[in-house]
Amino acid sequence: MIATIVQWKELGQTVAASVVAGVGITFVFSVGIWGSGQFVELSRNDRPVAATMAGVVGALAFLCVAAAVIVGIVVMTQK
Amino acid sequence: MSSDVILVIVVATALAFDFTNGFHDTANVVATSISTGAARPSVAIGFASLLNFVGAFISISVAATVAKDVVNAEVITTTIVFAGLIGAIAWNLITWYFGLPSSSSHALIGGVVGSAVAAVGFDAILAEGLVGKVLVPAVVAPVVAFLVAGLAIGFSYRVVGRQRPGIVTRGYRYGQIVSSGLLALAHGTNDAQKTMGVITLALIAAGKLGSEADPPTWVIVASATAIALGTYSGGWRIIKTTGTRIIKMDAAQGFSAQGAGAAVILASTHFGFPLSTTHVINGGVMGSGAAKRLSAVRWGVAGNILVAWLLTLPMAALIGALTYGFTRIFGTGALGPVLVTLMALSLIAAAFARRAQRGAPVTAAGG
Repeated sequence: MIATIVQWKELGQTVAASVVAGVGITFVFSVGIWGSGQFVELSRNDRPVAATMAGVVGALAFLCVAAAVIVGIVVMTQK
Repeated sequence: MSSDVILVIVVATALAFDFTNGFHDTANVVATSISTGAARPSVAIGFASLLNFVGAFISISVAATVAKDVVNAEVITTTIVFAGLIGAIAWNLITWYFGLPSSSSHALIGGVVGSAVAAVGFDAILAEGLVGKVLVPAVVAPVVAFLVAGLAIGFSYRVVGRQRPGIVTRGYRYGQIVSSGLLALAHGTNDAQKTMGVITLALIAAGKLGSEADPPTWVIVASATAIALGTYSGGWRIIKTTGTRIIKMDAAQGFSAQGAGAAVILASTHFGFPLSTTHVINGGVMGSGAAKRLSAVRWGVAGNILVAWLLTLPMAALIGALTYGFTRIFGTGALGPVLVTLMALSLIAAAFARRAQRGAPVTAAGG
């Protein structure tokens, strides 16, 4: 009986969205921190090209997180 | 006239419940930020309060579920809604008294279900909505939050493991400002809607709204304000339990716990599942602790919380049913609800006085 009552499709989508957003955002944010850390470290070691690349990766990661948060809120408000 | 008096009492009681919901659940939103040092307590709570208010305006899917999918609105009376609210408030205050982060949402739904069964019998319950939209998501959501937080912290440690601790901690602390904001927004939208749903149910029962009506704007504004004020008042006892007693967490764990909680709550809100924000964030906190080291989680504390979770629905239902029975002793008029309100206010005052007598409340300064 429970199998027919539960809205499996909605529940499955909720779980999938939670995993993708929860794990994805944390992972990408961590890449941002890694990029920032590498930028500082490589700049100290006088390796400007590598430092810049790491900095760009970090900045892109933070931008992706910001975009994901905004998209998430917009999607939620549209129902 | 009598039904209007009961309706006014119900709306006031629902807003009082909303206030206690914010008060009780402040911990869910801010505890991890405070315990990792990401934000000062006063700033974290003010920020959470503001975003709780904003979040209440985002969606009405959950309000629709509470008002139309759990109990049969056509057989519900304002007295049934009132008794359900008393069941929820009573259980919220009991768990607050003992510092346990139980679910305000399940208390509310349990209270309404209990009083409806006492009044009308099991025919009042919409099993499909109760099981499919409340009970199953209630079990699934904290498990998902546990797994998401665990996976997230696992990946995070792999990515930043070799970085200098200073920059990593600072980075996640900044991140926590965003993740706690998202969590506050998620909490506001899911939890404030439960009160909107209950007030809408009472307005339908009183014949002020049609059975398919959405919450009026004044209900949305009043619910948003009540939960924001409750959050601003803060429940320090539960902040301490959630923030330090389950696990001692670092900033990365706090970020992944809040991120997992916000993702699960926002996704569930989108589909109209009125889940427990308390269960979800505590699931996330335990997941981020267990992924680092199973023994990092204080399983004794987690066990106490689990017992409170399991007891919430039946206990709130029992109190709701007893309250309904008591009000009916005085007939169908406003006398029963008025007496119960006076008794409830006296008991709440006594509980606060006793709590104050037994020791200073847990405050920011006190940990």
